Amino acid sequence: MTTADGLVAPPGVTEKADTLSAGRVRRRRAENLRGWLYCTPFLAAFGLFLIWPTVYGLWMSFTGTSLAGTNTQFVGLANWREALGDPQVWSSLGNTAWFTLLSTIPLVAIAMLLAVLVNLGLPGQWFWRLSFFMPFLLASTVVSQFWNWMYNPQLGLINTFLGWFGIAGPAWLQDPNTAMIAVVITTVWWTIGFNFLLYLAALQNIPDQLYEAASLDGAGGWRKFLSITLPQLAPTTVLVLVLQLLASLKVFDQIYQMTAGGPGGTTRPVLLYIYEVGFTGYRLGYASAISYIFFFLIIIVSIAYMVISSRRSVKA
Amino acid sequence: MIFETRGSGQHRPGASSPGGSLNRRSLLQGAGALGAAGSLAALSGCAGAAARPVDELAFWHLLSGPDGVTMGEMLDGYMATEGAASVQQTVLAWGAPYYTKLAMASAGGRAPDLAVMHAARVPGYAPGGLLDEWDLDLFAEFGVHQEDFPELIWDKMVVDGALTAIALDSHPFVLYYNTEIAEAAGVLGSDGLLMPTDTPEDFRALALELGANAPSGYGLSFGYLGDGSNQWRMFSTYYAQLGGTIELPVGEKMVYQEELVVEAAEWILSLIDGEVGNPGHDGGTAISEFATGGSGAFYGGVWESGNYRNQGVPFDMTMIPGVFGEPVAYADSHSFVLPHQSSPDPERRRGVHAAVAYLLQNSIQWAAAGHIPAYSPVLEDPAYGELVPQSHYADAVDHLIYDPPAWFSGSGSDFHTYFGNDMQNVWARRVDPLEGWNAFVERINALLLKTPPM
Repeated sequence: MTTADGLVAPPGVTEKADTLSAGRVRRRRAENLRGWLYCTPFLAAFGLFLIWPTVYGLWMSFTGTSLAGTNTQFVGLANWREALGDPQVWSSLGNTAWFTLLSTIPLVAIAMLLAVLVNLGLPGQWFWRLSFFMPFLLASTVVSQFWNWMYNPQLGLINTFLGWFGIAGPAWLQDPNTAMIAVVITTVWWTIGFNFLLYLAALQNIPDQLYEAASLDGAGGWRKFLSITLPQLAPTTVLVLVLQLLASLKVFDQIYQMTAGGPGGTTRPVLLYIYEVGFTGYRLGYASAISYIFFFLIIIVSIAYMVISSRRSVKA
Repeated sequence: MIFETRGSGQHRPGASSPGGSLNRRSLLQGAGALGAAGSLAALSGCAGAAARPVDELAFWHLLSGPDGVTMGEMLDGYMATEGAASVQQTVLAWGAPYYTKLAMASAGGRAPDLAVMHAARVPGYAPGGLLDEWDLDLFAEFGVHQEDFPELIWDKMVVDGALTAIALDSHPFVLYYNTEIAEAAGVLGSDGLLMPTDTPEDFRALALELGANAPSGYGLSFGYLGDGSNQWRMFSTYYAQLGGTIELPVGEKMVYQEELVVEAAEWILSLIDGEVGNPGHDGGTAISEFATGGSGAFYGGVWESGNYRNQGVPFDMTMIPGVFGEPVAYADSHSFVLPHQSSPDPERRRGVHAAVAYLLQNSIQWAAAGHIPAYSPVLEDPAYGELVPQSHYADAVDHLIYDPPAWFSGSGSDFHTYFGNDMQNVWARRVDPLEGWNAFVERINALLLKTPPM
């Protein structure tokens, strides 16, 4: 016979198994119930603060809802049509993509480089780890504020430093040509510690025997890096890349505080535009439609990642 | 207290022992109780007026720094009067964060009893039903009447025939000048005040004289980088002096005079040309340049005066000289409003009127922060005339220009932000004035086509 677990009971113990099985079913049910009870607070919060707003936001995107709670009538696809034809939506999506590209590459490459350098066995490793990771612990307001000072065109440290070499530095955050780069530099400095730490952990997991064997075969440092370190770090690189892509796509804090999207909207990411439309422009319905367009774009990126990573695992 | 342990605190955390020690179960129970208490506290925090005693008034405002201190002192003064209600202040960050929260609270009908808004933003809020009407009869009981306000300000307080706001002050864009530098430059009159200038050439010459005697070499400090509001204040001032007007009709296009826009922009550019004024200042740098005695004069709001006084810089203030005609200047007013409540308590509303009447009648204290009182009896009080430098720019009340009314205009609004977004490139000499302006107009026209969300 088949027990509640789906196991086949051995012959001759049917009766006992039945009794046991009933007891186990009861215990299992009680455990299940307890499990659900323990999960309830999380599920309630998850439903209340994620699922419900997600569904409600989708509904709002089909209405003219304003922040003042007025004008809630159904407007069909009007918001969606407007969003798709709004040049500000496309320019802010373009800015988001540009920021993501500019920030993701150094945040992956430099993090790996720093981790490899630190892992070489430099003296005072704790100091390097602390230095690279510490900025990540700071709040975005603090980081934005002191980089704002550093970038100040008249009194800032950066232009003062450039001035020593006779270079007239730009108004970093106010010049459309340099504002995004300035924000990216700040972001890289601020957040690289997290990726650095992931890489460091991955490096420490590479078995020493691999390097010893390579040494016996006469491989030099560069060959070892290319043939052992890089391939061994590949899974971490994929992880770091995806986490970084998602984090960069969601950029808001530092840009809101450093440039407020300016000058001339050249640093305004789509999340800031959504905020502006919804919270300073009071058009929540329209802001919801833009949010969902962005949401779908992120889903496309995520699906692309899943497809790529599943191909990798098939190959492996 | 939930976590208090008896004895000398020898219990190990997590150890199960009798006597109220801190074990896992009690911790969980405690956390649950704390959570429940926290939830209740949070609920009471956002609860409607009905949940609080009628003699306890919730007051939201955006006044920080020296302004916030002064408001706190004035409220203390009110609460010390007999029969006064207790006023609980909530100070929120200036600009979009404040107005967003106020709109949401009012939309829910469980707003604070009293709030401060900029007068130019009231026309955006009132038509959507977010603000309740003041009772002039009730004010009369406390000694406040229509004739106590200058006509220009009263007009801003009435929206669609309803008294929606009560102005506490007007705070125009003014010119600060360093008295020591001005004296050295020989641009002070026999009365000790900055010599009047009524043509662009005269003003430029005066600014150059100031610059020649200033450590930074600059006569004027004006912070505009990344600050749409300050760019707009400057532009609005000179555009209005030139006779320019702006209208923002819903469903139509913005109405303005293009040639005056260009003229005003070119005049401003001539003031930040690297000779008269610094060509690349943000707000903080301009303030610090003037505060450290670096430059001869500073364009800014009256609210900086407390800051300069604290810094000890020798300064005086004047209306921005009317180089193109009348000395008109951009201004806005801090105004008291009644955020919409679904079922206001008449007794509480009475208390709010009493508190506001007190604040108006004692706004000489508010004037100390640099603002020009809106309440005429205070303005006409000899005590105000003795305030220096406040009395030197008191005439500005007759020459104020507010933002054109629209649901998206007023202090800290999208109108200012968009102006800054597009015009900053003009001030930085990256694009022509008209190119920057047209980009701004295009965004405003797009907003005018929308159904007002308020």
